[in-house]
Order: sequence, then C-alpha cells, then structure tokens
Amino acid sequence: MKENQPNSLLKAVAPQKRNGSAALLLPAGVVVALFLLWWAVSYFNLFPAYSLPSPLAVAKSFKEEFTAGRMVNDIIASLWRVVVGFVLSAVLGIPLGLWLGQHLAGRQAFVPVLNFFRFLSPLAWIPFAILWFHIGDKPAIFLIFMATFFPLVLATMSAVSTIPKIYFRVAKDYHYKGSELLNKVTLPAVLPQVITALRVSYGIAWVVIVAAEMVGCQDGLGYGIWEARNGLRLDSAVCYMIIIGVLGMAMDRLLAQLSKLPNVRWGYER
Amino acid sequence: MKLTIAKLIAGIVVIITTLGLLRYQPWKTDGPADARDIIHEGANKKAERSLTVGYLPVTCHLTCPVTDFASKTTRSSTNFNSRVFTDFPTVVSALQAKQVQATFMIVPLAMKLREQGVPVKICYLGHRDGSEIVVAKNSKVRSLTDLKGKTVAIPSPYSNQHFVMNKLMGDYGMQPGDINFVILPPPDMPTSLASGAIDGYFVGEPFCAKAELDGTGRVLYYARDIWPNFISCALVVHEDLIKENREVVADLVRGIAQSGAWAETHRAEAAKLAAPYYRQDEKVLNFVLTSNPRRVSYVQLTPTDIDLQRIQDIGLQMGLLKKKIPMSELIDRDFVPPVITPAPIDKSKIPEPVRK
Repeated sequence: MKENQPNSLLKAVAPQKRNGSAALLLPAGVVVALFLLWWAVSYFNLFPAYSLPSPLAVAKSFKEEFTAGRMVNDIIASLWRVVVGFVLSAVLGIPLGLWLGQHLAGRQAFVPVLNFFRFLSPLAWIPFAILWFHIGDKPAIFLIFMATFFPLVLATMSAVSTIPKIYFRVAKDYHYKGSELLNKVTLPAVLPQVITALRVSYGIAWVVIVAAEMVGCQDGLGYGIWEARNGLRLDSAVCYMIIIGVLGMAMDRLLAQLSKLPNVRWGYER
Repeated sequence: MKLTIAKLIAGIVVIITTLGLLRYQPWKTDGPADARDIIHEGANKKAERSLTVGYLPVTCHLTCPVTDFASKTTRSSTNFNSRVFTDFPTVVSALQAKQVQATFMIVPLAMKLREQGVPVKICYLGHRDGSEIVVAKNSKVRSLTDLKGKTVAIPSPYSNQHFVMNKLMGDYGMQPGDINFVILPPPDMPTSLASGAIDGYFVGEPFCAKAELDGTGRVLYYARDIWPNFISCALVVHEDLIKENREVVADLVRGIAQSGAWAETHRAEAAKLAAPYYRQDEKVLNFVLTSNPRRVSYVQLTPTDIDLQRIQDIGLQMGLLKKKIPMSELIDRDFVPPVITPAPIDKSKIPEPVRK
C-alpha cells in the first residue's frame, strides 16, 4: 500500500501503532488483574469451593483434558461445526441479502418472514434438529446455520439498500451491468457493513455452540461443558469456557483481517 | 501479504478441508467419534450384531455401561454400545427419530410417550430405590410437613420422584400446592441447595450423594422408606426393534439383567467400571454403591403390573397422564430370562482410573 494514499482506516490504526507496547501491556494487565482477583477470591474462600473452582483445580483439569486427548478432539469438532454452519449461512445469506437489497418487491415479500425466523432462539429448534437431522454433527450445524443465516441476510440487505442512488446512476453512465456492477459498485460499497455483520454473526455462532452441542453430540467444546456439569466437575467446565473464549477471540481477529481486502478500502472512504 | 478475493476463497477452502480431514480422519477406518465411544476393547470386537443403547450418567442407568463393557469383554453375539445423553428431552427426540431404539428413561415419561402414540415398551427396570429427598445440612426440616411452603426441585414433571412426592403429600394431608416444585437439571441441584436457592430436592443418585459428600446436604428420606421398591427408570425399547429383531432385544434384556446381578454383588468394581463412562469421580459413585445398602439395589428388576399401575394411577390422578393404557400394552416381559446369573465380568480387565 502506498504511503501517501489517504485512508481513513490507516488513520484509525496509526495511533495504535505508535504505542504498540501499550496496546499489548494494557490488556495483558487487565487479564493478570482478573486472574489475581479470581485467585484471591478462591484463596480467601470468599465463595465456597463448589460455587467457584480455584485456578489450581482448573489448571489441573486442563492438564487432564489435554493429556487424555479429549480437548484437541473437542476443539476440532466444535471448529468444524461452527465453520461449516457459518460458511453455509454466509454463502447462501450474503447473495440473498444482496439480491433483496436491490429488489423492493422482494424485500416487501420476504422481510417479515426473515424477521420472524430471526427471533427464534436456536434452543427452540433443538427438538426439530434431532428429528430432522438425527444425532451427530448435522443437527449442530443446522442450529448454527439457523442462528446466523437470518441476521446475515437482513444486515446485508439493509447495507445494500442504504447505498446512495447516485452510485447506481453513475454506474449506469459507465454502462456497468451484472457482475461488473456488483464487483465495482455494490460489493465495495457494502463490504464494510457485511464484514461487520459477519463478525457479529460469527460471534452468535460461537455462542450457540454450547446449546447446539446439547443435541446428542458425543464431543465438542459445548458438549464438554454439559458433560462437566453431569460429571459434577465445575473445574473442567471452566477450562472449556476458557478455551471457547480464547478460540472465539482468535477467530474474530482472523475475520477482522477481511477488512484488508482491496475492494473494502474503497468502502471505508465514503 | 496482500489479501485478495481469490486468496480469501482459497484460504476458506484450505481451512474447511483441513478441519474436515482432522474431524473425520479418513485414514482411520473406524472413525474418531466411534473410537472414542468405545472405551474398552475386548476379545469380542467382532460380534455380528450391534445395538446402541441410550443412557444418562445416573446410577439408575448403571447397568447400561456395564452391559456395554460386558459385551466387549465376554462372549456375546451382540455388541452393545452405550450412548450417553445429557437430558431426557433429547432422549425422547432421539427415540422418536429412531436414532436410538433402546434407552433408559424415567417411567412416567415412557407412559407419556406411549400415550402420545410413540410405540415403546418397558422391557426391564433400571434399578430399585436409588433416589433420596435431600435437604440442606443445617435446615430444620425433619419431615415432609416441614417442607410446607418451601421450594423443592425435581428432575421432570414426568419423573416418578414428582409422582411419589404428590402421593406422599396426600398421605400427610397436605394440599397439592403446599410444596412449590421447580424443575432443575439434576447436576445443578446440589449447588442450588448449597446456595439456598431451593430448600430440598428429590432426584436419583449420584446427585444426592454429591451434596452429602460436599457437606452441604443430608438425606431426609430414602426412597425405599416412603415407597418400598421405588422405581425411577426403565429400559424402554421401540416396538419396531422388538418386531424386527427379537434376538437382539433378548440379548439386550439378558445383558442388562446379568449386569444388574453382577453390580449388586460387585459394587466397588461397578463404580470403578462406570466412572470413565460417566466421566464422574469414582469416589462419588463408590459412595452411592457401597456406603449404605439402602441406597440402591439392582435385583428384582422385572417390571410388574402392580408397580407400574400404581405409578400410572398417580399420574392420571395428577392429570399429567390422560389415558389409561393397559399394562399389557406398556410392558413386555417376554425377554426377561428365567434364570439371571451375574455377568461374567473379569475384574482384571476393568481399567485403572487415570486420576486418583
């Protein structure tokens, strides 16, 4: 990227770069402080052990889960379900949203239904997920799809419908049509919002995994939490919670990289 | 590195392919998920038939993993795979979708399913007793009447615990609304009691023992004191399986019966065997099975008309069950073997626990 190119995204990033050490030290400090608080609460027995496992107990169960090989298998299983469900809903949802955004009649016809399904909690779909998709990966993928598809369609649609009309009038003067119109005008204009929507709905997918893996799964991070509860092992539940949070953060960092796509920079400059 | 659409798509494809490969491990012939279910590999891995049996990690379903273990370490013509569930509604859905055709289940729920037209039969029982009413250790509650106006947790409206409580309240001259019942997942009951959110609970083991071992609860009543030969769960089999494959069902009921007879006399070993299946602390299971013979028993598990009729009558009276179903439709005793010998389980084959 050329240095003299004006770019609002770069401007926003630049100050952070200047004090890069603070950007690392500050969050690390908060994490350490939280950990110390946790340690102190359990060390001084402010809560009884059954209501808050101690850091030591959690560290022990971390070791146990990893040496048994269960944790790695659970991580792969959950990542697989989330990624497949999420990619499915992105591949189907974003094109549908783009189309709806450009067709008023389509919007009028479908928006009420899309809104209706958006408000149904994935938990409500659990019995149907088992009846239709039986047991294993499929019902979990279905639940993640149901949780992310509708918000994604609606967000993409509303992003498209807010593109200023003048863009399309200019595009018409240039005789842009079909894929050219999509690639040169529509996509660049909406991608920033779509990427935000992707990040938000990915967050939903990751949250839903605990509920989704209640569905007769035999492995996965969410299942690990259910099993820890059944096995009366809160320490093990906490170690699964930590893994879920850390992996969620890491995946979000990856998705944030999407804003570096060449077409997106154009969208940020509006 | 500059990110382009082409690179993005390539990246997504690579991620999905890698995850898919790691997930299904096509280079392994038996698959990772199944391999994990089978904890023990015995001499008889090559049984001609196999059947998946559902259970929850409660001691009422203990014979399920024991049968699983026995079918893999002894000679039997059917290989049983126990499949753990975390709650009963999921078990019901799985049974309706015929994903499992045999499972352990609370008895009134099986009656409800039958009432709703799901063709299931009760072929055997899980265990006798095995449930307790637990109250906080230092609470003043000494009898059922002291629980008037208090909150008591039960695992499901269609649990026999709920039914028996209602019967008992009638016996004590209490009104149906005198105790405030709440439905809680069993694992949350000991902690809810300790935090004071509830005043007591009535549920199957090991969730009663947990409160006792933690020093937060004490047993108010053993199930057998208020209802001799208390029944909580039963082995429920889909009629289609009974019609299609009688030999498998016969093997199953025999296996469960023999496992029960073995567990009754080998209690410490049973706790050790089940702990990895349940992923529970062996100590808790051991306490349930060995501390007091009043807690659980794994004999006399043939379902009788009198026992189940009593449960059904209470359900009808409470309005939770709507239709009187003849016991002949509900129970199938054809598969119970005339003589029940303990399962020939080799103690030395039970794996040592990973953690002490």
